[in-house]
Amino acid sequence: MTVHSVSLVIAGSGGAGVVTAGSLLLEAAANAGWYAMMSRSSGPQIRGGEAAAMLRFATEPVMSHDDSFNLLMAIDWENIGRFSAEIPMVADSLIVGDPAHGDAPAALLNGKPRQAALAMTDIAGRIENGRPNMVALGAIAALIGLPPEAMQAVVEKNLKRKGQAAIAASMAAFHAGVEAAADLPPIPRLPAISAAAAPRWSITGNEAAGLGVIRGGVRFVAAYPITPATEVLEWLAPSLAKVGGTLVQAEDELASINQIIGASYGGVPAMTATSGPGLSLMIESLGLAVAAEVPLVVVNVMRVGPSTGIATKSEQSDLNIAVYGLHGDAPHIVVAANSVADCLFTSQWAVHLAEAMQVPTIVLTDQAMGQSRAIIPRPAELAFIGQRETAKQAVEGERYKRYAVTASGVSPMAIPGTPGLTHTADGLEHNEFGTPSSQASDHLAQMDKRSRKLSQFNYGDHWADIEDFGSGADDAPQEVPLGDTAIITWGSSTGPAREALQRFSDAGGKARLISIRLIAPVQPERMAAALKGIRRAVIVEQSHSGQFYRMLRAFYDLPAETVSLHQGGPLAFGPARILEQLNQWSA
Amino acid sequence: MSAETGDPMPIRSIPELLAHALAMETEAAERYGELAVQMETHHKADVAAIFRRLENAEKKHLGELTEMCGKVELPHIAPWDFKWSTSESPEAIDIGKVHYQLSVREAVQLSLEHERKASEFYASVARTTDDAEVGRLAREFADEEQEHIGWLETWLAECGVEDSTVVEDPDPPLSQE
Amino acid sequence: MEAVAQKYKAKDYKSELKPIWCPGCGDYTVLNAITRALAELALPPEEVAVVSGIGCSSRIPAYTSVYGFHGVHGRALPVATGLKLARPELTVLVTGGDGDGFSIGGNHFLHACRRNVDMTYIVMDNQVYGMTKGQASPTTSPDWEGSKLTPEGTGINPFQPLVVGLASGANFIARVSSSDPVNMAQIIVEAIRHPGFSLVQVLSPCVTFRPEQAEWRDIVRTAVVDYTGDAARAARRLMTDDGFNVGKVLFKGERPPFRPEFEVTDGSVAQLEARFSL
Repeated sequence: MTVHSVSLVIAGSGGAGVVTAGSLLLEAAANAGWYAMMSRSSGPQIRGGEAAAMLRFATEPVMSHDDSFNLLMAIDWENIGRFSAEIPMVADSLIVGDPAHGDAPAALLNGKPRQAALAMTDIAGRIENGRPNMVALGAIAALIGLPPEAMQAVVEKNLKRKGQAAIAASMAAFHAGVEAAADLPPIPRLPAISAAAAPRWSITGNEAAGLGVIRGGVRFVAAYPITPATEVLEWLAPSLAKVGGTLVQAEDELASINQIIGASYGGVPAMTATSGPGLSLMIESLGLAVAAEVPLVVVNVMRVGPSTGIATKSEQSDLNIAVYGLHGDAPHIVVAANSVADCLFTSQWAVHLAEAMQVPTIVLTDQAMGQSRAIIPRPAELAFIGQRETAKQAVEGERYKRYAVTASGVSPMAIPGTPGLTHTADGLEHNEFGTPSSQASDHLAQMDKRSRKLSQFNYGDHWADIEDFGSGADDAPQEVPLGDTAIITWGSSTGPAREALQRFSDAGGKARLISIRLIAPVQPERMAAALKGIRRAVIVEQSHSGQFYRMLRAFYDLPAETVSLHQGGPLAFGPARILEQLNQWSA
Repeated sequence: MSAETGDPMPIRSIPELLAHALAMETEAAERYGELAVQMETHHKADVAAIFRRLENAEKKHLGELTEMCGKVELPHIAPWDFKWSTSESPEAIDIGKVHYQLSVREAVQLSLEHERKASEFYASVARTTDDAEVGRLAREFADEEQEHIGWLETWLAECGVEDSTVVEDPDPPLSQE
Repeated sequence: MEAVAQKYKAKDYKSELKPIWCPGCGDYTVLNAITRALAELALPPEEVAVVSGIGCSSRIPAYTSVYGFHGVHGRALPVATGLKLARPELTVLVTGGDGDGFSIGGNHFLHACRRNVDMTYIVMDNQVYGMTKGQASPTTSPDWEGSKLTPEGTGINPFQPLVVGLASGANFIARVSSSDPVNMAQIIVEAIRHPGFSLVQVLSPCVTFRPEQAEWRDIVRTAVVDYTGDAARAARRLMTDDGFNVGKVLFKGERPPFRPEFEVTDGSVAQLEARFSL
């Protein structure tokens, strides 16, 4: 099944309204029954900087950006050249610029794209209160086959507060753009789909992560702002209040992690969201949550590191710190979302895991999915609700053992307020009662139980998404894979990998996708089953040092022929580069 | 800082006196116990033994007193509203006065000092009250304290040179968490 | 007539665990004052939580019979903040030392005062790091030469916890001495009763690393003036005192305690989801 899609970029400097235009277009596309994804790239300025809205529209759910863009609509050229690496333009791409702003920068022309002019400023100038970005939208709509009525509804909704005149001006500029597009060279068009298509949502990865933790039962959130995770917290602030929860802005990440430890110790499921620098600060206290057995969830929206790195752009390079950052032997859970939609599932599942095992759980997402908005099929209802095993009643004559050594490793937790079960939860090594102990036997018994509760838990099929591609592939993973080739990947690299596999199977190839959601604890038996019959594997990730590849090497038996595709952010592997590897093998 | 001189405010009823006595004996028993634990934890068996013995004596005393209180309705007095002029009750050794290298002699002296204060407290109650019954009982309590004072005076006299020297510890303090 | 038994005795708030503090340590007295205060308030042990970080004084939770949390160095205040905001019906105390609270946890101290969540912070100030063998703390005087780490003294002026606490917005400020345990208990009762963030500095000598602090009991004096609600007057008083005026509340503010704002609380998850639906 070939992906029928159109990819385009709207770019311009501050005040051009490219992000607004992109959002309107996304909503209009949803009205037309399409699926879509929009991500953003911007300069370092708080306001007025150059910005690009990158959109892909399709008749099927969109998992990834394409290798190149069909269209660049540049409202002006201020510093747009800086985006050239992120918006590859190839021979059949089309760059449309406004003659009023001069020529396209050379950096965009390396792939020899077609060029055309659209006098957006002039056309907008002829309409009272007309704006060039609406002219651009009109032209884009005409080029890609978006029905004008789909845009009409969006403009009416979004400009309602500004009044009828504003709506009329915007639509006049839009229609002028539609007319002017008649002179532009064609790009691929999408067929219109009945608006009565399957129910869909418009959501960002960060919003989805927020909704996921609420669905999982989180009712306390501590927040310290950090790009690109802030939107998780900003979405949660009013939303949590609506379901009776509490969000507190903390003084720093050390405070936010410890506030949620306090809240969760108090019996209220709790989380925070952060990015690399904040996660670094939280690490010591994550160890505390391991030792004191306090469940909590940290959503870490990865950005380019190390240090402050590139705060606004994506990378999959916090894997090591999430898995290995804690000092001592500190079993905890690391899960990773692999799409915008999966941010919802994975963060909800994370609450379930954290609460069930009384363990801190890190959810890895990244800027690419966190700050991307997607039109997705309505997510399924999930049964995962955090359920903590609690001790409710004192047993006559028995002192309560907060850290009782049990077969499952999980010890029923007494929540403050429960009579007869008072105890002190401790980050110092302790005996079963929680009393500090420096004895080897206590340390061993407690380490064993903390490790056991994770190793004995049944994670089910959610540990990874396993999909077979190629004729004869069923939706469910087969006992034996169709082909002898697999892509093993995680997180945001899953989208392009999936698309590469679709193209591969369109060309008659057969291969398997393994996208690991449960990063830690590792699942060697499940992986061995998934790799049965696989002779060749390609590992795909967005990390300069190949963190994921090295982790797989350390914990799993990989096929003899394994290739690691890794590169640092912010550029991602496009489907074509991954496909190239698959084709090399099948040649 | 605490003024320990002068007579206390007068105690005017039996329940009030009993409440004071009960609080004082409870605190004394608990304090001797606490000090015994401190010394045991730091492996000072000789000093700990003295405090343990006094704890047991006070517990016995407390038992008798509790029985005497019987069904008398005692007033509730907040810790800071008791009529002794010391911060804690006079019989309770000030924790800040003990230390790691406390000698047996020092422990006996400290205990003696507080047993005397307890006796003196009861005596002053007897002096200042205008209730004859309170006066009689307070004098009785003061006499009872004399028993412990007597023991301690004997112990003090029996303390040898070894009991009077500061316990040496050649090892430096340790680093913990 | 039946004897009226007090509902709880101080001993009821002590655990079976034996403290590891050095004999004579001021912290024993603080533990006693806290248990006396809780008994006086007749709080059921299960409705009280004591939170701490790391240090000698941070060992207190385990020595009590209430709910306790012994976390990492410097982070007791945020743990307590989260606990109190998630469970407002609990009485939350925080215990710790000068290093834990004013050095590694300094930022949380400022913001806990600012935020004014209803809890009581009891800081046992002995001007030294005891657990690590006696290094200078933020409240140590600049010329103290007792540590191998700073053999010629720190040369840095000591941190003024009460001045900083007042400037940061603490709603209740008091200084007490471990040499007057009953007064301490009384002040702790008042601190717990006063809404908002209450700061109680305890001069609690370290008998092992600062034996000269034994003199404190003779130096301290009961503050002559009663508390004020006027922050400017309190500031003047705190800026000019020598740190040995004890035994009284120095400042009581009227600021309402922090409670997170709730927009609507009768919504459902389905309503949240509806906003994403097209």
